[in-house]
Amino acid sequence: MKKIVLLSLIMMTSLIMWGCSRQDPLVIWVGAEVQEFYEAKMVEYVEYYNSVNDSEFPFQIEVRAADTGSAAATFLDDMDAGPDILTVAHDNLGRLISGASAIQPIQNPALLAQIEAQNPETFLRVIKGSVGGETYTFGVPYEAQALILYYNKDFLNEDDVETWEGIWDVAKANNKRALSITGTDGFNNSFLVLATNAETGSTSLKLYEDGVLENTFGLGDDTMSVLKWGQRFFQDPNGARQPSDSGWEVDFANEAILSVIGGAWHFRAARASLGDNLGIAVLPQFTITEADAYGEIQPGTVFQSGTFTDTKMFVMNRSSDKLEYLEDILLFLSHKDVQEQSYIQNNTLPAYKNALSEFSAMQNDDISTQLAVAQLSMFDYGIPQPFGAEARFNVYYYQRGAPDLILAILRDPDNAFTTDALIFAEMERVQRIWFGER
Amino acid sequence: MDQDVSKHNGFIRFIQNTMNSVLSGGKQYITRFKTGSIGTKMSHLVMGSGNIYHKQFAKGLIFLGLQVLFLSIFIFNPEINNTPIGFKALGNFITLGTEEGTLFGALADNSMLMLLFGVVTFGLIMVFIITYLTNIKSAYASDLLVRSGAKPTTFKDDVTALFDSRFHVLLLTPTIIGVLTFTILPTLFMIFIAFTDFDREVRPGLNLFKWVGFENFTAIFTGTGEIAERFFPVLGWTLIWAFFATFTCYIAGILLALVINKRTVKFKKLWRTVFILTIALPQFISLLAMQQILSEHGPVNAALLNIGLIDEPFAFLSQAKTATTARISVLTINLWIGVPYTMLMTSGILMNVPKDTYEAAQIDGASKRQAFFNITAPYIIFITTPYLITSFIGNITSFNIIFLLTGGEPNVPGNIAGKTDLLVTWLYRLTIEEGDVNIGSVIAIFTFIITASATLISYRRSKAYKEEDTFQ
Amino acid sequence: MMTIEDPMNKKQAIPELKVHHKSAKKQELRSTIFAYVVLIALALLWLYPIMWIVLHSFRVEFRDGILIGTVVSHYIPKGFGLNNFVNLFQNTLFPRWFLNTLFVATVSFILSTIMTLSVAYVMSKIKFRQRKLFLNIAIIVGLFPGFMSMIAIYYILKALGLTETLFALILVYSAGSGLGFYVAKGFFDIIPNSLIESARIDGATNLIIFTKIVLPISKPIIIYTALLAFTGPWMDFIFARVILGETNRHLHTVAVGLYYMVHGSQYADGNQFTMFAAGSLIVAVPIVTLFLMMQRYYIEGVTAGAVKG
Repeated sequence: MKKIVLLSLIMMTSLIMWGCSRQDPLVIWVGAEVQEFYEAKMVEYVEYYNSVNDSEFPFQIEVRAADTGSAAATFLDDMDAGPDILTVAHDNLGRLISGASAIQPIQNPALLAQIEAQNPETFLRVIKGSVGGETYTFGVPYEAQALILYYNKDFLNEDDVETWEGIWDVAKANNKRALSITGTDGFNNSFLVLATNAETGSTSLKLYEDGVLENTFGLGDDTMSVLKWGQRFFQDPNGARQPSDSGWEVDFANEAILSVIGGAWHFRAARASLGDNLGIAVLPQFTITEADAYGEIQPGTVFQSGTFTDTKMFVMNRSSDKLEYLEDILLFLSHKDVQEQSYIQNNTLPAYKNALSEFSAMQNDDISTQLAVAQLSMFDYGIPQPFGAEARFNVYYYQRGAPDLILAILRDPDNAFTTDALIFAEMERVQRIWFGER
Repeated sequence: MDQDVSKHNGFIRFIQNTMNSVLSGGKQYITRFKTGSIGTKMSHLVMGSGNIYHKQFAKGLIFLGLQVLFLSIFIFNPEINNTPIGFKALGNFITLGTEEGTLFGALADNSMLMLLFGVVTFGLIMVFIITYLTNIKSAYASDLLVRSGAKPTTFKDDVTALFDSRFHVLLLTPTIIGVLTFTILPTLFMIFIAFTDFDREVRPGLNLFKWVGFENFTAIFTGTGEIAERFFPVLGWTLIWAFFATFTCYIAGILLALVINKRTVKFKKLWRTVFILTIALPQFISLLAMQQILSEHGPVNAALLNIGLIDEPFAFLSQAKTATTARISVLTINLWIGVPYTMLMTSGILMNVPKDTYEAAQIDGASKRQAFFNITAPYIIFITTPYLITSFIGNITSFNIIFLLTGGEPNVPGNIAGKTDLLVTWLYRLTIEEGDVNIGSVIAIFTFIITASATLISYRRSKAYKEEDTFQ
Repeated sequence: MMTIEDPMNKKQAIPELKVHHKSAKKQELRSTIFAYVVLIALALLWLYPIMWIVLHSFRVEFRDGILIGTVVSHYIPKGFGLNNFVNLFQNTLFPRWFLNTLFVATVSFILSTIMTLSVAYVMSKIKFRQRKLFLNIAIIVGLFPGFMSMIAIYYILKALGLTETLFALILVYSAGSGLGFYVAKGFFDIIPNSLIESARIDGATNLIIFTKIVLPISKPIIIYTALLAFTGPWMDFIFARVILGETNRHLHTVAVGLYYMVHGSQYADGNQFTMFAAGSLIVAVPIVTLFLMMQRYYIEGVTAGAVKG
């Protein structure tokens, strides 16, 4: 007994000593799917650094897999424990820099030049933020993402998936469900909320345009018509639904649903569900009927499903004690060649402009190229989440319950939204939440 | 009988006792200063000097060292994560930080750490006061020994005493330290948080939060907002859940134990082992498996479809059409988890049913059923009442089952609490997932009050407690 | 308390017993068969999910060359193999998680057992002034919802410089373990005080009494306490998840790691149920075996705790 006690005491002491004596490594958070890739890249980087400089790179480098969706929140909970470089979706920028900024702006001219040269205009706008009247570039885009349609080729052909009605008809004929969304948040309902008139490409919906809270509007006739259409779609036994308890992957594999709206990060799971039967397309269009028409919107108007187009970007922890090394690393990691390699290895979508024409790997005709092409095409119908300017916009849009209210209108489980007036009233509530009123 | 009455007013008695001990402590303090040796008098200022005066150097130096350590912490305010501990922490505890931080230079004050370190500093002061009093007591004890002609204890004596007459000090110290740092301190911290506006929009170190008094409490109990709207339904369901979860498991467990313990049933141990398997299996495994088994494309739905009982997959859990369906499902799965426990418990008890009364009844010609209802059942109920209450309390805070099976869903639109959310799962969502730490704390306090009062009532009525009194 | 004698019954029951003697035997046979039917049905119901996990862990089915990792609706797999286990060891951090958990469980079970038994012994057998007060405080303190204060615990650990080590988890598991002294106290209460007093008359110190006299006859309760303390870290995932953080994948315990295989976040590749099942099997087999081996002690502890209240 005494020996055990002694042994455990020794074990504990040595553990503490070990814990205290460790030197801080340089930590980088990336998405789980690309962790190995960037780990290898950092080995390359250290080799490169050592060959260019006379000295050895002074730190050990750890590339950790982090959930990029929650990385910003985790990081803000405890900055000191955070990494030196982390990956966030660009719409987190606002909350990272509001008040006192938690991240460091980019100052290295070479890196700034590379960002300007590489990225499309839409991204350049959203990686910048205004702090104290000055505008800085905070993020280094290196991956892009947009929602697309995964579908079952056994049931649907390329013509069917051009419109939701086409998919819906096939679902009815086979007594299946046309569509499942993968989650219930504000990203997943964007295919309806952000839908645009297919002819004019416009919508009356505005979300914090130009970073101004008041430039927000969700009560247009078109939005109402789209929601009414969506309500029919979600209420129909062969229409759209949320994932079951089994998970959408299982629903998909069991042919209970014929299509799924998802991002590139769902690709592996979707492929595992359907194998060679997996088809990929841009999100379909849909036509307003008599039942859906509202206000000025005429029956027969065609809408194109929308999406948020995101870029994932690297940002630097402001409290990092290794700041002087970080920009050089980012210059290396965000280079377009690395982006293309990552595309080839991990199916990540480059954030680089003209990727579709410039990257040789995108000229193939396999499923992963289709994935990239569909996403890049969706960029024409999408808007970058415009919440960059202020933290609370993101909170208002996603976290105050508005997505749940929209889903409630669509699914209408208790028949509470059967009239136009009721839907309108609920959308007014949603809009109030978007404005930040409780 | 009189004693009994006073016992039930434990709280008043507790206050009285505390008052008394404070008063007598104060008196002692004065007596010791008046009648003590010069060393003892010195000890009131410089800790350990009484012991050093009596040549108890090791002990004296330890006391002195503690005083130096405490005072240096208190005066020099060492900083952890840029937040001081010490007398500055007391001021910070009141303001919760004033520095709002600049854009790229200094960070804001970390209100959360200031609150935490304020509590820590209060704790340190308490510990110091206790050490201080101990120091005087120790010096005075040596005075008394010397006066009575004996020698003051040596350091070796004191260490030896730790293994004998003061053995309980040695045994309790690690637990007291552990509980103070990892249970009481955090608990106090969270109770204080309930009086602040530390919600999802606060990020410690980047912006401040402040004291708001009882605002969070009024928001929940009398407000009309979303939180208030959800609170009472969640509380209601928590109580319903705890009631049904306890009694269904209890009754089913007893019945199962009766069947297994039936005289003519063989392989009793084997049967018992089958059910113990569920207890041994980590809950996260069995519950996640259950969730998948009952899911729309799991084997249960497949079987029901095959038999033709249903036409399309039936949603039992988070996608259930009505709240009642989901609730019945979780209660049923809870049976699978809970019945083996009751079975084990009552099996033991059944074997101990007083044989003589039982046999007497048989001889007297009571039928089996009569024997059961008149002897076995009252005996079981009598002896398991404490278990019933503890398991009721356990069910109020039963986190895993809801969290792993439904995650609190089906959801109520626009609200963060779902229809199967218990108080505990809801407060988990509020604090860990949503970041409304202040509201979560209020709910935690409330949950604590419910469970603590139930425990106190049951404990004070229990046999164990009553025996306690006769023990001393 | 209990009324057992009912004169009305007495009069009627005696002739009944005689008249129905033969049919009583038949009835008993019938009720025995009924008991077996119930038992078999229930046993199947209880074993069904367990078997299902085992079958899933060995399930190897392919769709167009891709291993199917999700739940399927048929109960018996169409193919068996070890692919899930191979995947688990080659493509995930499971071996690391397993060692993490083993380390945490070992150290914290030693600490917890020592602390729990110490407190229980003190509360049961040593008389000192504030005993009753300690007892009451101990019971109340243990009731505050633990994970409520996790955020505070996290920062306390951080102030101690411990958040990114397994030691943090060990502290969290064992620091408060003394509060779970209740069952052990019930056990020590049964040990006659005379035993201790006679030892004391023989000049034994409290340390000797505790280690040489009380502990050797307390094997059941030591094993019960140790068993619960050792299996705890394998089962808990809330504390492990919050204290060691979601992003530190190499610091996960098995429970956290496996949980993410089923409930990956929205951005991760979730739902690898067969791999989860394989991992669960590796975790469950030793734990369950341990439990079954120590069954007797476990039952004793549970029953004692319940009856004592």
